[in-house]
Amino acid sequence: MDRIKGFNPFTSIGSSALTVFIAAVVLFLINRAIFETTVLVQTLAKALGLGAVYAIVALGFVLIFKATQVVNFAQGGLAMVGALFLSFLAVDEHIPFTTIQNPLIGIGPSWFGWGLSVLVALVFAALLGLVIERIVIRPMIGQPLFSVAIITLGMEAFLRTFANDSVRVQLRPLGIPWGTGGFTLGGTVGDNGITTGGAFVAWSYVAAVITAAVAFVAVFLFYRSRMGVAMRAVAFDQEAAMANGINVGLVFAIAWAAGAVLATIGGIYATQPPIAQTGAVQIETQFIAFRTLPAVILGGLDSVQGALVGGLIIGLAEISAGQYLSQFSGQLGAGYPLIVPYVVMIIGLLVRPYGIFGTPEVRRV
Amino acid sequence: MYRRPHMFTSYASEAKILSSTTQRVAMAVGLTVLVLMPFDLPVINQLPFIRFLGDSDWLRPVSTVLVFVIAAIGLNILAGVAGQVSLGHGFFMGVGAYSAAFLGGDATATVYGHGLPIWIWLPGAGVGAALVGMLIAPIAVRLRGLYLAIVTLGLVFIGIHLGNTDWGRRFAGDPGLGRDFPTLDIRLWKEENPLVSVSDDGQWLWFDAATNQKSYLVLLAIMLVMVLLAKNIVRSRTGRALQAIRDRDIAAEVMGIAEFRYKVIAFAISSFFAGVGGALFASLVGKLPASEWDLFLSVEFVAILLIGGLGSITGTIFGTIFVVLGPLLIEQATRWLDRQTESEGIFGILADTVLTEGPGDFGPVSTGTQSPGWPLNVFDWNVALYGVLIIVFLIFEPLGLYGIWLNIKSYFQRWPFSY
Amino acid sequence: MKRTKWWAMLVALVLIAASCGGSDDGDDTAAGGEDAAESTDESADDESEDGDATDDEDTTDEGEGGDDAGAAGDIATDIGVDDEVIRIGYNADLSGLFAPLVLQIIEATEVYWEGVNEAGGIGGRMVEPVILDNAYDVPKHLENHEILSGEGAEGVVMIGQSTGSPHTAATSDLLVEDDLAALPLSWYSGWGDEAIGKNVFEVQTNYCLESMNGMTHMSETHGTNVAIISFPGEYGQDGAQGAKLAAEALGLNVVFDGEGAVVPGSDQTPVITEIVNSDADVVWATVNPGTLAEIMGGAIQQGFQGQWSGNSPTYNFQLLASDLGPALDQFYTHSTYTALWNTDDTPGMTEVVEAMRERRPDAPVSDVYLIGWINGIIVQTILEQAVENGDLTRAGVLAAANEVSVDLKGLAPNQTWAGDWNDFVVRESYVYDIDSSLLTPEGTVSDEGAGTGFSLIDGPFVSETAANHEFSSACFVAE
Repeated sequence: MDRIKGFNPFTSIGSSALTVFIAAVVLFLINRAIFETTVLVQTLAKALGLGAVYAIVALGFVLIFKATQVVNFAQGGLAMVGALFLSFLAVDEHIPFTTIQNPLIGIGPSWFGWGLSVLVALVFAALLGLVIERIVIRPMIGQPLFSVAIITLGMEAFLRTFANDSVRVQLRPLGIPWGTGGFTLGGTVGDNGITTGGAFVAWSYVAAVITAAVAFVAVFLFYRSRMGVAMRAVAFDQEAAMANGINVGLVFAIAWAAGAVLATIGGIYATQPPIAQTGAVQIETQFIAFRTLPAVILGGLDSVQGALVGGLIIGLAEISAGQYLSQFSGQLGAGYPLIVPYVVMIIGLLVRPYGIFGTPEVRRV
Repeated sequence: MYRRPHMFTSYASEAKILSSTTQRVAMAVGLTVLVLMPFDLPVINQLPFIRFLGDSDWLRPVSTVLVFVIAAIGLNILAGVAGQVSLGHGFFMGVGAYSAAFLGGDATATVYGHGLPIWIWLPGAGVGAALVGMLIAPIAVRLRGLYLAIVTLGLVFIGIHLGNTDWGRRFAGDPGLGRDFPTLDIRLWKEENPLVSVSDDGQWLWFDAATNQKSYLVLLAIMLVMVLLAKNIVRSRTGRALQAIRDRDIAAEVMGIAEFRYKVIAFAISSFFAGVGGALFASLVGKLPASEWDLFLSVEFVAILLIGGLGSITGTIFGTIFVVLGPLLIEQATRWLDRQTESEGIFGILADTVLTEGPGDFGPVSTGTQSPGWPLNVFDWNVALYGVLIIVFLIFEPLGLYGIWLNIKSYFQRWPFSY
Repeated sequence: MKRTKWWAMLVALVLIAASCGGSDDGDDTAAGGEDAAESTDESADDESEDGDATDDEDTTDEGEGGDDAGAAGDIATDIGVDDEVIRIGYNADLSGLFAPLVLQIIEATEVYWEGVNEAGGIGGRMVEPVILDNAYDVPKHLENHEILSGEGAEGVVMIGQSTGSPHTAATSDLLVEDDLAALPLSWYSGWGDEAIGKNVFEVQTNYCLESMNGMTHMSETHGTNVAIISFPGEYGQDGAQGAKLAAEALGLNVVFDGEGAVVPGSDQTPVITEIVNSDADVVWATVNPGTLAEIMGGAIQQGFQGQWSGNSPTYNFQLLASDLGPALDQFYTHSTYTALWNTDDTPGMTEVVEAMRERRPDAPVSDVYLIGWINGIIVQTILEQAVENGDLTRAGVLAAANEVSVDLKGLAPNQTWAGDWNDFVVRESYVYDIDSSLLTPEGTVSDEGAGTGFSLIDGPFVSETAANHEFSSACFVAE
């Protein structure tokens, strides 16, 4: 594919720069591990938490893309609407036989009731995904890629309106049992019962990592099943799959339902540390999808393991740049963590134009 | 019809911009109307559609259409002609706007500006953006499809971030308030009184004109020049090379078209148009913060292209009208519906079903301002309706407005054998 | 099949077109026969006409048709006022970033005008608010401004509210051109500067002075090592500059200067790290509620024990119902420039609470109703002054705004714009303690006990730094 064999300026410069860069980062981390272990542990935990959320949302993008060749720009809207389902069920309606309230106001959270609410909310989200797929995406099979992308943007505007509208004055609590709490590794307990000096790990980091692990294992196992094989066949070649008797419509439906469920989970985690601290849906919740795009692209749009690796790399880069470059804020410009994911993505794509695990497009004359 | 519409006897006649008499007449009529639109002339102000432009409320949106057409054509050359979809068009518009502000704006304690006249800052904006485009092109050339789209999306975020940095503020002004952009006044050099004043109401030749009307005419002239330029680029050797690359890049390379070089050229041309469009847009608004050159702006242009029809410059114009004026028309329609509640007949019934006037009414849209929640307030309703309109439209006609236009055109061209 | 498609589209387009064309007719019918004739006249020589000529012509029109209230006869009017109505423009963010708050503000303003109209209006004329949505978008704001400043059926006599700083700044020259007065929903200290906002009438204490007062209070009660964080730009940096001026005057030790360091939407790790490392006693923040929660939550998790405060609207009472509630209750002090919902018994407060209960009994509790209500009082006072002066033209309203003194009945410090910048600028602000036992997040205005979780510490008070500050330019010079 490369016109000039042997030397391609971008790959060569890109990869040698990358090697030097990675070596520098590793040396720096070893240095930190020796001199400031607690800060490093705390940073890594936070990065892992963020990376896991990115990986979950990225997986949603990838599943939908693999099945339908659509980058679903409405993923943010779905995340918000899904999280709002949960807020509605868990906080407003206190669904069946349980009382769940805002932890602040009184009665403690009931894990069972909350878990049930989450399940019901995910089912709702899946149904919403199915409906969108059936009404909006199915008629567009075979149409140009970007027309479908713009349709999903229209969908986003539509969903966002209803979601923003129900967020009312900015916050809709989700009643998450673990809240913003966490535990501290090391450190000393002061008189007021608050630990200082240790490495803080929020429960939400742990929860996000576990959820991501479960989601990815589930997807890998699913791909081994009969339906999963059908899905991969559709991803490989829609027409051939259809000719072999695979129900392509069903595959589409499953992918969109799964995508909506993953978006919802991402939306729930987007209300929690390290992304937000309120445990409530806000207008900003929907931005999780756009923040995840670099991870999706870096990992490769059509690769499940790419979503995982891309999510973790971007999470690590964003948090550790925020932690260790903070004294250079003046030079880098305030708010520089916002563009770290994009910079990492661009460097990554210079070396591998289809992402780390993405399948290169076969170009025929 | 007396002639066969698609039969050409020479390449030159096929490549003509206006190949038939019908087209030439239509163009002449159209141009006359466009030029006369802003004025309340005796006959024109009786015509239903053109008349409203005499009212200055509509002149600004329509002027925005003119500016967006310029920028959208740039994206169309990149995406429609050369096949490289970019979500970073807003970034290049911003680069153009700040090049213009740097050259043509007034310096203050906090921002740069050299106060140069329009014939320097306007091309300068295009060139500035084109240079940045050429810097980025080598990275972009390696990527395809959605990967390219999302990398260019990164440019938007990086651009806004740069505008926030200390040195970026010297160009972009305060992140909250923004900076002033040069006006459209035409000067020879930096003299006090402009040769042709656009930013003030007053006499022009033999008639009085307001600022809005003047800037509309100036923008119209610039747009026509840019459209002509684009048409000519597309039918030149470069345009044909770009189309070949879009259709099958390897095949194009085999035929001896230097893919790398032409993709860089495509980026440069596209950024040039974006830069000019961005500079004019900024000038039209007058004062903007850097955060306005955001993702939504870029997305708006991709929507314009797809709704108008990829690859067609006529389609781009249709698309821009749809995307820029669509929300306004919806707003007008909602307000009109609101006034129909009292009336009898079908519209009264429609208004009753859709609108909620007070407690006990169950329409989805509340007529008054009220806190968010159900029923939706009118403003949210307008946004949602617009989203739905885009979806329905693209499902209905994936080729865009240009597809519809082609159908209409071929219907009449094939008359009486249309089907 | 294919053909039906595009025919249907054509029909749809025609329908849209019809609705648009029809809207003009609708306006005319609504405005009545006489107006219809008048508006045609106006549009015929639209724009080309000199402002004064229009005045005279319209005044004559009024004289001929003046069969209404006796007062109408002697009052000069031009655009936005006729014998029956006074139109006031609201160019507000109703579907954008700040829509949740602005919708409530506008709702309270509407309630205010409903009351005024029932009581007989202003000078016998009914007030008709023209509310347009700017979607927090500068170009859209300008398009709306064309409508409001135009001479059509939606032309107004003054702009009652203009949401957002960049938006208001983009229109400030146009306001001068059109002789329109505007009240901004923005508290940048530069609005008092004639060069920046000649016709922009800032309401209440600006960010800068509010910071001085708040910083003085915080340092007196909690300690002298202070950290300052803010958004970049005219909101954040104006607040941060005020805090720094206070720190300098009081001899405080600024341990972390994060002016402009907080960018919304990005990960806040760098700011959190710097705050935790600075070990400050007090953090002064000029950000928004979501970002405050992110930074404050992150810092407290890492063991930071300082106290927090910041400019309005850094904090929103709904945050108290979130997971961060307990921390806010313990560590945050709210600074504001108006009294808060139902926290005292001043006559103004009683009026607004009763009006909201009567007219919007199901509306959720919120502090921002007061902003909308105060806006109503101010606009009414200005218009009444204009009526008294016998000049309800745009220029007349503008002149009235420059001479009124508005009694806000205890809802906020009284307001005037007469005289010199340093004389009329409002310097008092309030500080409130956050108390979660007073919060009813789901309460409506009708609930007797519904509250937004505040108890007054002090206010309106003015610190020495704020009292002595002489304005010659904005605290933060943005341009």
